[in-house]
Amino acid sequence: MEGVALTAPVDFATLPAETAPLWSALREVMDPEIPISLVDLGLIYDVRRAGPEVEVDLTFTATACPCMAFIRYDIEERLLREEAVTSVRINEVWNPPWTKERITPEGREALKRFGVSM
Amino acid sequence: MAQYTEQELKEKVQNGFVVEYPHEMTEGYRKALIVQLLVQADTELVSAPAYFGAARDAPSTNTMVSATAIIQDELAHANIAYRLLEDLGLDKEELVYGRQPHEFKHPYGFDHPLENWAELVVANGLYDRAGITLLSDVYHNTSYGPLKRALVKVDQEETFHLRHGEMWMKRLSAAGGEAREKIQSAVDWMFPMAIEWFGLPDGMKRHSGQLEYRLKGMTNDELRQTWMKSTVPLCEGIGVEVPAHWDEQKQEFVLDYPFPCQYDEDEKRWLFDEGEISWETVFERWKGRGPKNREFIEAIQEGRQFRRMMEAA
Repeated sequence: MEGVALTAPVDFATLPAETAPLWSALREVMDPEIPISLVDLGLIYDVRRAGPEVEVDLTFTATACPCMAFIRYDIEERLLREEAVTSVRINEVWNPPWTKERITPEGREALKRFGVSM
Repeated sequence: MAQYTEQELKEKVQNGFVVEYPHEMTEGYRKALIVQLLVQADTELVSAPAYFGAARDAPSTNTMVSATAIIQDELAHANIAYRLLEDLGLDKEELVYGRQPHEFKHPYGFDHPLENWAELVVANGLYDRAGITLLSDVYHNTSYGPLKRALVKVDQEETFHLRHGEMWMKRLSAAGGEAREKIQSAVDWMFPMAIEWFGLPDGMKRHSGQLEYRLKGMTNDELRQTWMKSTVPLCEGIGVEVPAHWDEQKQEFVLDYPFPCQYDEDEKRWLFDEGEISWETVFERWKGRGPKNREFIEAIQEGRQFRRMMEAA
């Protein structure tokens, strides 16, 4: 899991050129319940690409998250629309566990506007 | 003694006055608000047993968790509306546990069995959308302050239910075969059900206290159009047929079947061939309630006995 410090939000400036467009695409995938993207919420731990195959490490905010299936489908559907991506593999990762430290500054703003306190 | 006359209050709310307390209401306002809140509360409540029947057909544990999260939301929304009714002097316990099944005020459409996952997700896509259409109109227009504030949370959660419905309708339609057919069959009986839910056409509606008291902003026909404006393109976009289309000349959606018309409860099928019926006949059918009315309400009311057992233990 190189390139992503899991105790901090994603640093968009240091993303590898190969996967940066995929991160951008994932930034369009919104959490099903609140208006914040999966990337800004910090659920995406890593994105790797080998030619047409993409692999995503994904976590959830809670083990009983009601949106697990939902989020997986949304990720798959969005990434398959990227050029030359033909397969998407999603790994559910529980370690390290998600914490709110992973939320980006933009995500914090979005949550504040929505009325979620942190 | 009311603070305002009926006419004074109607004028005040049309000019933006927000009612906060029972003593600011007239008898007419209070009655209209109670009916509105009862319909809202009962609809949210009865959607829980209706959805639960179909949630048991969820394709995986994770999807079942999504469905039960939706059911839990609906129960919380019902609680919000019953709680608001308590401020108006009604008793929540009595409203939930003390009424006969036929006395509940949810739409007839919720008295029908949802029998598989496809029917559940179409209910999310069509019925929850009808709920959002009605409630977001209330949210934007209501003159009753406590309801407006309560609806912020309700609207956010209903949007999740709607997205759940849309996502699954798309997936199952794209899968083709039997999955697709099930979505089409569900839409076939649920689309006209939702259309009917919005009630009498404006031309026949004598007078609406809810509009005069500014408890809502749109007429029945406007709400029906708003619902179709998003439902018809959604269905057409995934290759599911609906009995309605956009009319260029009229600049509105028009139905491709006689409205209103009769429904065969056993066959779960609308009898388009038998032509238009009167609204009196529709009201009779609604009054008789649908086939699952008793079972759904009993499923909810059983909870009281269980709770009493727990309390006694």
